[in-house]
Amino acid sequence: MDKDINKLYKEGFTKPVIRIGRWTLIAATFFCFVPSIYLGLRYGAVPPIGNILSAWLLIASIYGPYYFIEPISYFPVLGIAGTYMSFLAGEIGNMRLPVSAVAQNVLKVESGSKKAELVSTLAIAGSIVTSVLAGTLAVLAGSVILGVLPPFIIKMFDFVLPGVFGSMFAMFALKAPKYGIFSLTLCILMQILLKTPVYVTIPVTIFSTIGLALYNSRKNKVNNN
Amino acid sequence: MLMGGNKMKEYLEIANQPLMWLMVAPAIFIVLLQAFLISKKAVKNADLVGLTKEEVKSAFKIGFVSGIGPALAVFVVMLAMTAVLGGPITWLRTVIIGAASTELAAATIGAEAMGVEFGGADYGITEYANSVLTMVLNGSGWLILCALFTDKLDVLSHKISGGDVKVMGIIGGAAMAASFSYLVSGHLIAGGARLLTAVVSGVAMIALIYIVKKFPKLEEHSLGIAMIIGMACGAAYVL
Repeated sequence: MDKDINKLYKEGFTKPVIRIGRWTLIAATFFCFVPSIYLGLRYGAVPPIGNILSAWLLIASIYGPYYFIEPISYFPVLGIAGTYMSFLAGEIGNMRLPVSAVAQNVLKVESGSKKAELVSTLAIAGSIVTSVLAGTLAVLAGSVILGVLPPFIIKMFDFVLPGVFGSMFAMFALKAPKYGIFSLTLCILMQILLKTPVYVTIPVTIFSTIGLALYNSRKNKVNNN
Repeated sequence: MLMGGNKMKEYLEIANQPLMWLMVAPAIFIVLLQAFLISKKAVKNADLVGLTKEEVKSAFKIGFVSGIGPALAVFVVMLAMTAVLGGPITWLRTVIIGAASTELAAATIGAEAMGVEFGGADYGITEYANSVLTMVLNGSGWLILCALFTDKLDVLSHKISGGDVKVMGIIGGAAMAASFSYLVSGHLIAGGARLLTAVVSGVAMIALIYIVKKFPKLEEHSLGIAMIIGMACGAAYVL
C-alpha cells in the first residue's frame, strides 16, 4: 500500500513537475534574452563579442560558484518543485524559505513527508504571486507609494531583511536549540575568524548541521535499541 | 564626449520605452505559468497524501499572505535600480532570480567591460545593452544548472535518506535552521540597527509562538507581526 502511494506520487507529481520545471526554466532562459535581441535589432545596440565575453567571464568568476552551491545547499529544504520555482523567481532566503516553513508550521504537517512537500510547494507558489504583484506595483508606482508614506515607515523598509531572518531563525532555534546554536556559532566564527567567502560559508554551515543532526539521530536509534 | 549628457538620456529613453515592457513580459509570464502548472499538479495529488481541499487553499493563502512582509524589501531597491536601468529591465531582473546587489554588480561589470562607468556620461545604449546581457548571462547560470540537475539532486537526496520520512524531516529541519543561521548572521555581525532588528524580531517571534497557542488565527501572521516589531525598533534606533 505504501509502495503504491510512493509510485502514484512519483508518476503523478514528481515526474510531471520535473518535466514542467525543466521546460519552463529553459524557456525563461531564452525569454530573458528577448530584450537584448530587441535592443540589437531595433537600435543596433550590439556590443562587440569580445566585450560581452570579458564581462561574462568576470561576472561568472564572481557568481559561478553560486550557480552550483545554492541549488545544492537549499535543495534539502526546498525539495524538487520548490527548487524549480525558487531558482526561477529568486528571493529564496527572504521569501521562499520563510513561507514554506510558516505554511508547514501552521498546517502542522510532518516535516519531510509528502504532505509537507505539497504544502511547501503550494505556499511557495502563493508567494510567487505575491512577489510578481509586489514587483509590478513597485516598478509602476513605487515612487508614488514611497512619496505618500511617512518617513518612519520608509526607514522601516531598510530593516525588512534582518526582520525576516531574525524571526525565522528564532522559530527554528526554538524547535531545535542545539542545531540553531551550533549553526549560528559556526557560521559567525567562520565569517569573523576565517573570513570565508559566502560560497564556502553556506554549504559548510548547512551540511555540517545536517551531518550533526543525522549523527545524533543515529546515535539515539542505537541507544534505543 | 561632449554629447555625454544627451547620450545618457538617450539610453534611458529607450530603456523605458513601452515596447521594452512588452519584451520583458514573456519571461515574467513564464514565472507565473510555472507556479500555476506546478500548483495544479500539487492540487491533483493532494488526495493521495491526505491533504484536504481546505488545507490546499490555506497552504497557498499562507504563502501569499506571509510573503507580503518580505516582499516589501523590493520596493526600496527597485527605485534605485529603476533610476539606472529603467523600469522594464528592473521589472524583469527582480521578478526573475535577481537580487538587486547581484544585478547591479553585473550591470556595472557590463559597463566596465565596455570601458565606461556604469550610468556615467559615456554610458550609452550599446553599453547599456552590454549591462543587460551581463545580467542575463549571469542569471542563466542558475536557470540552466537547475534545469539540468534538479532531478539528479532528488535522486541523490533519496539515496542519502533511504526514502525514510523521519530522516528526510531531520535533514530538512537542520538545513532550514542552518540556512536561517547563515542568513541572519550577516545582520548580527553588522551590529547597530540591523543587529537590533534581528534580535527584537527573534524575541517577538518566540513570544508570538506562545501567544498564538491562545489565538490560533494569528499564527499565519506571526512572521509579519514579528518583523514589524523588529523593523520599528530598527527604524527608531537610527532616527
